[in-house]
Amino acid sequence: MFLGRVAGTVWSTVKWPEAKGLKLLLVRPYRLGDLPPGATPTRGGGTASEPTDDLVVCADMLDAGPGDDVIVAFGHAARVALSEQLPAGAKPNVPIDAAVVAVVDRVSIEGGEPL
Amino acid sequence: MIRAIVIGQVWATRKARGLDGQRLLLVAEKDGDDRATGRVVVASDVLDARGGEDVTVAFGSGARNVLRPGRENRDLVCDAAIAAIVEGVG
Repeated sequence: MFLGRVAGTVWSTVKWPEAKGLKLLLVRPYRLGDLPPGATPTRGGGTASEPTDDLVVCADMLDAGPGDDVIVAFGHAARVALSEQLPAGAKPNVPIDAAVVAVVDRVSIEGGEPL
Repeated sequence: MIRAIVIGQVWATRKARGLDGQRLLLVAEKDGDDRATGRVVVASDVLDARGGEDVTVAFGSGARNVLRPGRENRDLVCDAAIAAIVEGVG
């Protein structure tokens, strides 16, 4: 799972039938350099300089919107989260490998200000 | 699995049911030189890891087995979990 901020929405008209009606979001993962200074590990520290524009497309059943901080899960965990919205017993046979599983209320960083 | 250091905690009320009851920590991945790579992961924690502690994080079904070992854990929403608190690296 990763912590990210919703950057936008993706529309698609041609989709896998089982994925019909599924909302897709663009999420930008937080990297260590994006977090408050307190997040820098005190031992073996050093923030990263990698780009932070590696967007992830993920399904959303929690009605998250641009600007929200969310937790995104991959793989089976993502499909389990989606299946919770389906009728009981229905299998999440969708070509989805990333989904919003939580809309974040609060993040506390060791020795730093909250986000 | 990766080696990482605990840097914080995340709370959410609007979430998938399969996430209920999970303590979610923010960890920063470390490379072979003990430096942060910049990648930040949200990992479930049942070992009561604390800020600043070195940990290992397992992914995928390995992560689910940390939370609930066995085959009956496929209903969990978890793809990363703290698998060990590291005391030393040789």
